[in-house]
Amino acid sequence: MKFSKKMAGQGKKMNETDSVTRLSGDIYENVRELESVFGPDSDLIVRFFKLKNNRDFIGANIYIKSLVDRGTVNSLSVELSKLKCGARNGEFGINVDTFMSNFSGLREAKVGYDYEALFEDLLAGNIVLLIDGCKKYLAIMADSDEGRQVDEPSSQTVIRGPKEGFTEKIECNILLIRKRIKSPDLRVEYLSLGSITRTRVSLMYLHRIAKEEIVREVRNRLNNIQIDSVLESGYIEELIKDDRYSIFPTFLSSEKPDSVVGALLEGKVAILVDGSPYVLTVPALMIEFLQSSEDYYHHFIISSIIRFLRIVAALLTLLVPAIYIALTTYHQEIIPTPLLISIASQREDVPFPALVEAMMMEVTFEILREAGIRMPRAIGPAISIVGALVLGQAAVEAGIISAVMVIVVSITAISSFAIPNYEMSNAIRLLRFILMLLAGVLGLYGIIMGTIILSLHLCKIKSVTVPYLTPLAPKIEGKNKDTVLRFPLWTIKDWSTGVNKADGARMSGNNPVDQRQKEKPEF
Amino acid sequence: MKRLLCVFMTMLTILITGCWSSREVNTLAITISIGIDKTENGYLVSEQVLNSRAIASDKATMESPIVIYTAEGNDLTEITRSFTAQLSRRMHNAHLRMVVFGEDVAKEGIQNILDYFARNYEFRTDFYLVVAKNATAKEVLSILTPIEVIPGLDLYNSLKMADKEWAPIKSVRIVELINSIIADGKNPVLTGIEVSDGQISPKSTDVLQQSGGYQLLKYTCLGAFNNDKLVGWLDEDESKGYNYLAGDVNSTVEYAYFDDVKITSKIIKAKSKTRVYLLDGKPAVEVDIKIKHNIENVAGELDVSSEENKKVLNEILANKIKFLCEKTLDKAQNELRTDIFGFGEAIHRKYPKVWEEYKKNWDNEFPDLPVDIKVEAEINQLGQIKKPLFLKEKE
Repeated sequence: MKFSKKMAGQGKKMNETDSVTRLSGDIYENVRELESVFGPDSDLIVRFFKLKNNRDFIGANIYIKSLVDRGTVNSLSVELSKLKCGARNGEFGINVDTFMSNFSGLREAKVGYDYEALFEDLLAGNIVLLIDGCKKYLAIMADSDEGRQVDEPSSQTVIRGPKEGFTEKIECNILLIRKRIKSPDLRVEYLSLGSITRTRVSLMYLHRIAKEEIVREVRNRLNNIQIDSVLESGYIEELIKDDRYSIFPTFLSSEKPDSVVGALLEGKVAILVDGSPYVLTVPALMIEFLQSSEDYYHHFIISSIIRFLRIVAALLTLLVPAIYIALTTYHQEIIPTPLLISIASQREDVPFPALVEAMMMEVTFEILREAGIRMPRAIGPAISIVGALVLGQAAVEAGIISAVMVIVVSITAISSFAIPNYEMSNAIRLLRFILMLLAGVLGLYGIIMGTIILSLHLCKIKSVTVPYLTPLAPKIEGKNKDTVLRFPLWTIKDWSTGVNKADGARMSGNNPVDQRQKEKPEF
Repeated sequence: MKRLLCVFMTMLTILITGCWSSREVNTLAITISIGIDKTENGYLVSEQVLNSRAIASDKATMESPIVIYTAEGNDLTEITRSFTAQLSRRMHNAHLRMVVFGEDVAKEGIQNILDYFARNYEFRTDFYLVVAKNATAKEVLSILTPIEVIPGLDLYNSLKMADKEWAPIKSVRIVELINSIIADGKNPVLTGIEVSDGQISPKSTDVLQQSGGYQLLKYTCLGAFNNDKLVGWLDEDESKGYNYLAGDVNSTVEYAYFDDVKITSKIIKAKSKTRVYLLDGKPAVEVDIKIKHNIENVAGELDVSSEENKKVLNEILANKIKFLCEKTLDKAQNELRTDIFGFGEAIHRKYPKVWEEYKKNWDNEFPDLPVDIKVEAEINQLGQIKKPLFLKEKE
């Protein structure tokens, strides 16, 4: 039970000034103490029981009603009623091992000595068994399985590939990963974070592939977090991010077990947080945010083209409105004449400068997008009708917006949805506004300045000590076979990207089909 | 705090400068063509400005797609500025497609005008220059065109197309024009533009509602310059000849007679090579023209598929082209006395020392330059059918 040891350790750390309060031998005192901590009218249930053959024996099973599985409680009660114990009251402590052995075959159980650990075990959904005259307690695992079932992920949909998504339960998520890597190399470390919430967090990595420095760094950072609550993996990301002001995500969050497994196999470290279906993997490289797990399931040529398309989409999202503004307000001479004439005729009645026009439309789009996420599902069609009318027809017909602008906004919007990662999409969409302002003030010069500064920033930031643009910049020769393009599996002899151990690289696949054999089929 | 101040000051430097050079598209008057005529006071400049409101497809008005603004004055820059007094928008010259010189201006010399076009940063170098023949530039610009509603674009595109498909036309841009004016021993040519015959002058969109019968603009032939002055016009044959000699033919059509059989060929490739040599210490020129052609039409009874006849066909076509070239050469040497072919330049390249003697007096020496023209033609394809359809088999 590594996990509870860790938790106890964590608990100690939190209250370093307090000395550990040990359980007393008097069961009634212990129960009183517990009741005072949890308060009156709580859902803490204390049930005293006596053994059939030994009326002197007083025990109590204590649990929190909402956390435990009702079936387990019942079966435990039945078992307890059948138990026999020859020891007299007060001497029970000596025979606790015998007592435990009656349970150990059936359930996970462990022994604790102090209140801190007792609280934690109770709150983790254990049934705590106290016995009068004994300064120990027995915690029996009985947490309920209530929660969402494994479902299709809502944020990362695929056509081909597994459709399982993580759930809010950490055990279930670990199971989903373990199921895919049947190797003893897969290490799972538990810790609990949040002084109030005591959220369970686990760290997973492949021992033989992941770099020790990186694992150590992540572990240290996690252990040094001081916060009262962790409600989602976003908390952890924000707290242990390398460049905390950068809007680019440096932790890849995924809802899909297969992409997390892929990351683990590349030597990355996964951080799972109880209560969140998003699993973080670090170090996350820029290029990963433009990749999808599906890329590996389709033909490599198609995947490469689609990856390229996504990069183009990301650039379009970033640049199209800015370039439109720059060209129509500063550099009309580089627009082809027929296009300029067409733009000029459309912009004839538009009362706003291109920058204002673009800002208005882009902000409208952002509002629509945000509304689309927040609103109740039932009124979805309503907003799309209003959006289409406001953004499109009506604005153009009223002469407030030019038709080209609608096209520009649409291209931006569609492109932004082609970015597979939502956080990356957010970052790029935000930067688009900055570039639009620069374009409106300085024209193409501003766009170039903006993109240079952006590139410098991307070169500078790191994800857990690894440069963000690895393996493109710093360029690692021969290790770019899985970046913009995806090379076929049999050509990648070395999967390492500077993130994993040099000797722990994955083996490449081979093509066992004899190429010569194919030419002369046997019939 | 210090960092914040830094960011703030950087923002100031960017933002306070403001958008001082920004100009929205709907504050611009996009000039499509410029016409320059000569008047007593100097120049009459006509600018063909896009009326973008009339072009908008969804709210088209009956207004003309272009508006002609004219101003007179002695100085081009001054005239251009004076347009601001006539219209509410700033003239935007970057999309200029055509410059039309009136014949008078061209005869007087266009050197100073070209300086204006070359120096002003707003002009690009991809517009074409033409000379109005038998018309003023203003007249040419004010004619509306059907199909392509913006006359300037219509002129631009049709010149571009004709340059590729029709031998008598040559499209000239400003860089080429200036280079051939500057060069020793080479003089420029410019295509002439004419207003075709017609009952009505289409200066109103009402006229364009008819299917035809109104005046159109058309390119005719080349005007030969001596330095920057127009000295005369080549006719259509001579213009063709010029382009064959200069190697500017991309594709065109040529017909020739073999007895009473008319054979039309599509020229698909024409190359010319100018070779200079010394004849008794004096320079002489030999021009080799190589032609590839497809048979387009055989009007008469001739089996073009036989090898002998092919040879004959090649020969008569070569002779026809040679005739055209010689006609051009004759006119340039004896009538116009201007070296539009750049033979002087070729001599300069090969015999720089000999050229020194001729350089100063080239206009007078050029007419006496012996030029030998050789034409070789080769049939490429006979078309979809080999023998003429109505050929009677000899029995």
